[in-house]
Amino acid sequence: MTRAYLEFAKKSFQNNIVYRSEYVAGVINAIVMIFVNIAIWKAIYEEEGSLEGVQFKILATYIVLSFLLQTLYVMDEYFIEVKVRNGLVSSDLLKPIGFRLYVFSYTVGTLAFRFLLQMLPALILSIFLFHLLFPFSTVMFLYFLVSAILGYLVLYNLNFLIWVSSFWFYWTFSLVTIKDAAVMLLSGALIPFWFMPEGMIDTLQLLPFASIYSTPIQIYLGMVPEDEILTGLIRQAVWVLVLYAVGHVLWKGASRKLVVQGG
Amino acid sequence: MALIEVTDLVKEYKLNVRKKGLSGAIRSLLVPEFKLKRAVDSISFTIDKGDTVGFIGPNGAGKSTTVKMLTGILAPTSGSITVGGLSPFKERKKNAMRIGVVFGQKTQLWWDLPVIDTFDLLRHIYRIPAQAYKHNLAMFSEMLGLQDFINVPVRQLSLGQKMRADIAAALLHDPEILFFDEPTIGLDVVAKEKIREFITFVNREKGTTMLFTTHDMDDIERTCNRMIIIDKGTKIYDGTVEDIKRTYGNDRIMVVEFGEKAEPIRIPGVELIDAKDNRMWLRFHKDEIQASLILNRLTQKYSISDFTVQEPEIEGIIRDIYLGGIHLDKSVSGVC
Repeated sequence: MTRAYLEFAKKSFQNNIVYRSEYVAGVINAIVMIFVNIAIWKAIYEEEGSLEGVQFKILATYIVLSFLLQTLYVMDEYFIEVKVRNGLVSSDLLKPIGFRLYVFSYTVGTLAFRFLLQMLPALILSIFLFHLLFPFSTVMFLYFLVSAILGYLVLYNLNFLIWVSSFWFYWTFSLVTIKDAAVMLLSGALIPFWFMPEGMIDTLQLLPFASIYSTPIQIYLGMVPEDEILTGLIRQAVWVLVLYAVGHVLWKGASRKLVVQGG
Repeated sequence: MALIEVTDLVKEYKLNVRKKGLSGAIRSLLVPEFKLKRAVDSISFTIDKGDTVGFIGPNGAGKSTTVKMLTGILAPTSGSITVGGLSPFKERKKNAMRIGVVFGQKTQLWWDLPVIDTFDLLRHIYRIPAQAYKHNLAMFSEMLGLQDFINVPVRQLSLGQKMRADIAAALLHDPEILFFDEPTIGLDVVAKEKIREFITFVNREKGTTMLFTTHDMDDIERTCNRMIIIDKGTKIYDGTVEDIKRTYGNDRIMVVEFGEKAEPIRIPGVELIDAKDNRMWLRFHKDEIQASLILNRLTQKYSISDFTVQEPEIEGIIRDIYLGGIHLDKSVSGVC
């Protein structure tokens, strides 16, 4: 049975590769976004000298990593919504497969595509163009990998909540937009937490968003003391579980609605 | 034992009542009103292995709702369904393993990928043994002419090609039961014919039980040995196509062409529906008066150069049933 899900991921990978212009655009987009953001921060630095005692090259690496992860973390936000609206969700339920695992495999297939064909080229370009720093240490790099995977799962489970809500709302464009804005601002994707007011950082640490970008990137840069890394990873894992549990309840509700109301 | 058993099946939907106009739209947004609609109203039937059954009925009669409940994607409000001993709704995945579904209006194929890729995916989903997969693929390719477009992305296929690919996709895993929801909708005559032939062949060769919903009476006549008519959520007929023709198709229309101008003639039991030039259209009931008798009476007065007797089309009978012109009595329904 696992074989079928592997095949879904493969098909999703293939599906992505069909549109050639799409992956070239993805790489260019990542590079341009990194360039623009670094330029903005550079201007601020030239005005202020040093900011919060953080060297510019560390900030530049933060920005590059953030956008590389963002390239990687793009998911098909309307995969479920489209199926709900055109009724194909019932075709999926007519197959002997678990719907949620199917959606997850599909998303992971897209992840593999983005990793190989968009993030890797953008990463190589970034090393030369933006002087990306290497990880603080090998151990930190391994922690970073674990943390980045957990960050992906936090985002996936958060997204899943929005996606499933399409069973009730049919259109989730506004919800997706609000979610995207919240993730951008509150996860440290655009502005590293160390530039934020002290009180706000504590609040942000209580929300799931920090687990998505801030935690893995700060581990990569060696900004998290070794004894706090485990706490960070556990916090991420807890968010994965909490969001998954909420998603589970929502999904049960959605499938009940589907089988009772016929979609 | 029957393969499918349905007893007192009921399905009620909660419908959102929308009011007219802008103020009505705002009112229903703020205070939604619901009313219950009974889409299926205690339907019972059984279907044996190898049967081919057509569900027909006007739009909104409850056919699709019934089929959806049989496939397990809709939960019944009350009543019971067993498909091969399983409850399709409670054991959705197990049930799904044994059925195949074809929707005439929605494709199950992967839109951006070649047809063969979808087939390959299905092989893994249903864990089809390599031997059976190869055998079925070869057979379906030949019979449905799939080889011409098996490597073409689905979005570039014509409606007829998509339909053929969809049918093959639904049959790859040798399902015990196959559900068709309007399989020939929008297809041309040749494509329809090809699909009907294929369906009959599969039924004969593999003993697949097949259930259709369709508006095309030809589909039913050509492929089904049994027909269930549903109207307003209840079953109003369950029997063979021949039976309904025998019972309700006794009217004949005789078209007679005379050698000269003829005056209308009164024959008891015969109704003149139209007369034009030298031709006359006469309706009679074949149990009440024999065609030869009518001809006999006519030839006594005029010479006849040509005549034909028309049997009513099943389509016409069904139309009469929908419009309420024919009331099916209990002795006919439920003969099976």
